[in-house]
Amino acid sequence: MDKNFHHTSYATTPRKRVVLLGMHNFFSLFSFSLPKICFGTITGLVVIYIGLIAVVMSYATLTIEFSQSVRNDEAKVATLESRYLKIVEHTTAIDYAAAGYALPIAKIFVPAKSVTALR
Amino acid sequence: MRAQFRNRIRLVLACVVFVALLIVVRLYFVQIVHEQDYSQKADRQFASGGSGLFDRGSIYFTRKDGALISAATLQTGFLVALNPQTLTNPEAAYLAISSVASSSIDHNTFLAAAAKKSQIYIEVAHRLSGTDGQTLSAMNIPGVQVLRERWRYYPGATLASQSIGIVSYGSGDTLAGRTGLEAMYDTTLTRSGDALYKNFFAEIFSNVGNLLVSVNDAREGDVVTTIEPEVQTRLENDLAKVNQRYSSKESGGIIMDPATGAILALASYPAYDGNNLQSVDPTVLGNPLVEHVHEFGSIMKPITMTSALDAGVITPETTYTDTGCITVNKATICNWDMKARGVIPMRQIIMQSLNVGASWVATQLGQEKFHDYFTKLFGQRTGIDIPNEGVALLDNINKSQQINYDTAAFGQGIAVTPIQMIRALGAIANGGVMVQPHLVSAIHLDSGITRSLDWNQNIQVFSVTAARETTDMMTALVDEKLENGKAKIPTTSVAAKTGTAQLVDGHGGYDKNRFFHSFTGFFPSYNPRFIILLYTNDPQGVQYASETLDATFLDLVHFLIDYYAVPPDRGITQ
Repeated sequence: MDKNFHHTSYATTPRKRVVLLGMHNFFSLFSFSLPKICFGTITGLVVIYIGLIAVVMSYATLTIEFSQSVRNDEAKVATLESRYLKIVEHTTAIDYAAAGYALPIAKIFVPAKSVTALR
Repeated sequence: MRAQFRNRIRLVLACVVFVALLIVVRLYFVQIVHEQDYSQKADRQFASGGSGLFDRGSIYFTRKDGALISAATLQTGFLVALNPQTLTNPEAAYLAISSVASSSIDHNTFLAAAAKKSQIYIEVAHRLSGTDGQTLSAMNIPGVQVLRERWRYYPGATLASQSIGIVSYGSGDTLAGRTGLEAMYDTTLTRSGDALYKNFFAEIFSNVGNLLVSVNDAREGDVVTTIEPEVQTRLENDLAKVNQRYSSKESGGIIMDPATGAILALASYPAYDGNNLQSVDPTVLGNPLVEHVHEFGSIMKPITMTSALDAGVITPETTYTDTGCITVNKATICNWDMKARGVIPMRQIIMQSLNVGASWVATQLGQEKFHDYFTKLFGQRTGIDIPNEGVALLDNINKSQQINYDTAAFGQGIAVTPIQMIRALGAIANGGVMVQPHLVSAIHLDSGITRSLDWNQNIQVFSVTAARETTDMMTALVDEKLENGKAKIPTTSVAAKTGTAQLVDGHGGYDKNRFFHSFTGFFPSYNPRFIILLYTNDPQGVQYASETLDATFLDLVHFLIDYYAVPPDRGITQ
């Protein structure tokens, strides 16, 4: 009695049949072929690998170019600084008396508000 | 089905053959058509591609407005190398190169290098400018390689050279700091080989931690000094004038902030140009202001006086009887002019620089206290950030004969370094507190953090009162005695003292005709911004420091007052 009941109910349950048909359609859309999966995976990995190489090479090139340009700029600044220090040396070495200038006879200091930021 | 399979196989084979043909054609162009270009490129990479360009942190001067000016940095240019195996016409190559960089290459050296056919890489010229290098490279001379090069560059040339130091190979094959700040801060300035760039992805796989928190970035950086370039230039200029005028063996000077120990200028003559070391005498590479010891003479008297005032054995009003000469342990000590002054107060010992008076003060102080004060002041290194700091020679004040203490009281018989001397004198200027002299204020780390250095190891050696009383005496010297009172600055108080010491004769005694001149001073006297120490060793044809260093000291005082706009501390017209 129980056996007949189960057989009948399984064969005639419409809801479960619909689910099974749906599953079949899904897998048929992405047919699971092992060579295809491997091929797809390898293709993906190769693309990622080539992309990574390209990014790494570009990054390295840019970094080198950037650090070179920083150093080149520093060298240009050093040349300017050298010129500045030579001018300071020249100014310091000037004999103002020989150049026709005379020291002030007297200096008088009076209280006043500072007008420069270098106090 | 079978025919279709065969066609596919043929197609694949055709593709393989086509690719192979492409490779063969490419190889033909690479190995046959462009053989010379590629072999030259390979030679260059073999010879110099392995190591990166020289890299090192910078050292900066600090201007009064806080702007940083490079004292040591890097310069970029080109070097010229030969491959004698591919160099076909050395004479033509030399002519071509010398037309661009005539001063860089010696003709004989070039031809000798070109004759070494067993070698493939010989560097024949360095430090070509960017323009020269590019012009030479464009000539495309067979067997001549023009490669990028970077080297240490000192924009100020001789400016503060002995403090900044040099970078050289030394005994090994690594460029490193050998003297001065270059050596002292070598760990900070040195760059590891991979500092030029980092491969981000390689770092991910090899060392994630290093990518996130770089150990090198926390160690590597630039060094910021306290040296003010214009003050340094002025000091060097003045010292050179003194040295040349009196044909001295050497001259030196230090300008320091007595409250902090920050050194604004530290110079010695003769100096050298760190960019051109080929013809430099190795003996000038060190820093004599830190390494050498001298008997300074009478600028030691203010220290003796302050010690006695601090110990309470005398007061400024104390008097003594000056006899002109005294005999101690069978040795005779006399005043500089041999004259007796009679009964006079303490301030006259400083103002007239009386040796007999200084010896009397030392006797009042007693040997034990004298030893304690002088050991506290000179018994240890200052800790300045310059390598090879010398130690004072104080053996005489470890003995029991009173003559040793009496002579030490006026700066003979004991020898100290200039940096020790200015630190001790700075204690008088700084209310009795001895500071730690230093040249570097901060490190700019590559990580972006600025690390200020702690130099606050201050030692109280004298009381504020004792220091002020000696300052009164030194100020009176400038106002009344220096240049017969003409040196007095109506608006700024200046405290100073001259010193003249006899030089040792090499036979256990002193030479009566050879001298060591020194001069010290600080201003404004009671809230000093600057302390100056000057010396000139063995000046010719002149006996006293007041003759050699007076003008130099006063020039520096006036320059500093003007340059820093030091406000007047007296004589203000309302």
